[in-house]
Amino acid sequence: MNRRLEMAALLAESSWHGLRAAGLAGGIAVATIATALFMLGAFALVVVNMEGLLDDFGRELQITAYLEEGLTEAEAEALAQGVGTVEGVEAVAYVSKAEALERFREMAGGAALLDGLEGNPLPASLSISLRPERRTPEGLVILQASLDGLPGIEELAHGQEWVEGYARLAALLRVAGYALGVVLSLAALLIVANTIRLGLFARSDEVEIFELVGASRLFVRTPFLVEGFIQGALGGAIAALLLALAFGLLVPELRYGLSFFLGNAAPRFFDFGELVRLVGGGAGLGLGGAGLALLGSRG
Amino acid sequence: MALKPKLEAPAPLPPDVKRPEAPVRMYGVSKSYMPGSWALRNVSLEIGRGEFVFLTGASGAGKTTLLKLLFAAEQPTEGQILVLGRNIARLKGRAVPALRRQVGVVFQDFKLLNRRSVEENVGVSLDVLGSPRRRTRSRVFNMLRQVGLHERRAAPPRALSGGEQQRVAIARALVGEPEVLLADEPTGNLDPELSVEIIELMLAAADRGTAVIVATHDHSLLERYGKRVLRLEGGNLIDTRAGGLGAP
Ligand SMILES: Nc1ncnc2c1ncn2[C@@H]1O[C@H](COP(=O)(O)OP(=O)(O)O)[C@@H](O)[C@H]1O
Ligand SMILES: [Mg+2]
Repeated sequence: MNRRLEMAALLAESSWHGLRAAGLAGGIAVATIATALFMLGAFALVVVNMEGLLDDFGRELQITAYLEEGLTEAEAEALAQGVGTVEGVEAVAYVSKAEALERFREMAGGAALLDGLEGNPLPASLSISLRPERRTPEGLVILQASLDGLPGIEELAHGQEWVEGYARLAALLRVAGYALGVVLSLAALLIVANTIRLGLFARSDEVEIFELVGASRLFVRTPFLVEGFIQGALGGAIAALLLALAFGLLVPELRYGLSFFLGNAAPRFFDFGELVRLVGGGAGLGLGGAGLALLGSRG
Repeated sequence: MALKPKLEAPAPLPPDVKRPEAPVRMYGVSKSYMPGSWALRNVSLEIGRGEFVFLTGASGAGKTTLLKLLFAAEQPTEGQILVLGRNIARLKGRAVPALRRQVGVVFQDFKLLNRRSVEENVGVSLDVLGSPRRRTRSRVFNMLRQVGLHERRAAPPRALSGGEQQRVAIARALVGEPEVLLADEPTGNLDPELSVEIIELMLAAADRGTAVIVATHDHSLLERYGKRVLRLEGGNLIDTRAGGLGAP
């Protein structure tokens, strides 16, 4: 048989021995990784849901372009189409004079104000929503500049303050998310490395014997790396399971509280890809921890 | 990765060396663990292919130290050591495992894997060579039969007596058919009958071409076999050829 394959089989067997020998210490490593990833995952869930909310929120960010008096319906439609092709524009909705009046009337007090007015003083307008990458104060300025000169547009209006608030919130959430993620991952990595190092100490007699009979570094180390990888993946899977359980149990309980934050948006759980990343992250954490433990164990 | 240990080309030797092929060579070797005290002092020797020698001396004379130098578990403080053409003082990285795969060692304290079976303990010598599993099993079985332990092959070492554990250690050292065999008091825990059997196994290895060094303080063995004896006294070597006691 292929010698590489033989060696792989031997290493697999050796790793299996290692896993069995790890016993309780291995169980502790798995629990540690699961705990760390559970915390990380719970936080990530909050972030993805907040981001979903931010997205909804951001879609309402609009520039209103008031059109010049006397533009025909056809001209306005053509202008709307032109604006739709401008870079950074997500969607354009045309609001005719009549529709504007209708909306105004519906507003509390609007009808009273209009009483006694001749004709329709409200201009037609385009409601322009922005692509996500333009939902920043700078993006807004750029877009505004490209819309400003277009013939038929009388005036541009937007909620600059609103945009700034939105951008600040989104940035804060992202930075806080990454920072906490990095801190939690680092803590988990160190704890895992330490747990695996304890296992290494417990088996230092075995390692010594392997080295005395001429085992290569690869032969000695692979079982520990495999062990870390499997423990990490296991920890990740357990964390995913616990998160699903917690999500399933807590979300119905908290529905009213959540709807205050999320509005009509339903809270969502991780999708398949995100779950795979969670388990893979655990495996990476275990592998990294084992590597770190081996690095620390000897020069 | 190197699956099969490659024999490095032997280092070029000065023309006046008598036996250029000698697998074990020491020239002016001294070893000090602490400044001011010498575990070995200016030791020179050559041990040829298929040669069997006893290494003897009182406790603390330096027997274990000499053996440790030969499988690169310790570094010499002074002098040159060549084992299978490799310069021990300059071995580094992956050269150490490569050397050890060709040097079988029987340790004074056995050094068995307590969580593995007898069979697996013997098999590790072949595992590190990347030997196919099926071949390993049959070679291990044959080896265990030679030391009379084939029926205990599934037992963990701690279920065996001291003498039986010693035989497992010997089986592990011999199963890879090493070019050099080092045994540190391998009969220390055995009754005389078993001691003879164990020595016979190592003699057979020497007959197959292995250079064998057996450290022992058992004088009856030295007399019984009439082999070359290396005597250490306080770290100094007195090389005694067979029969010629006291000769240089
Ligand atoms: N690791 C060590 N550190 C310090 N001194 C040692 C060490 N190993 C051996 N020695 C000393 O070196 C001398 C030789 O020891 P050793 O080689 O074990 O002798 P033997 O095997 O003949 O009993 C002794 O004095 C011993 O105390
Ligand atoms: Mg000794």
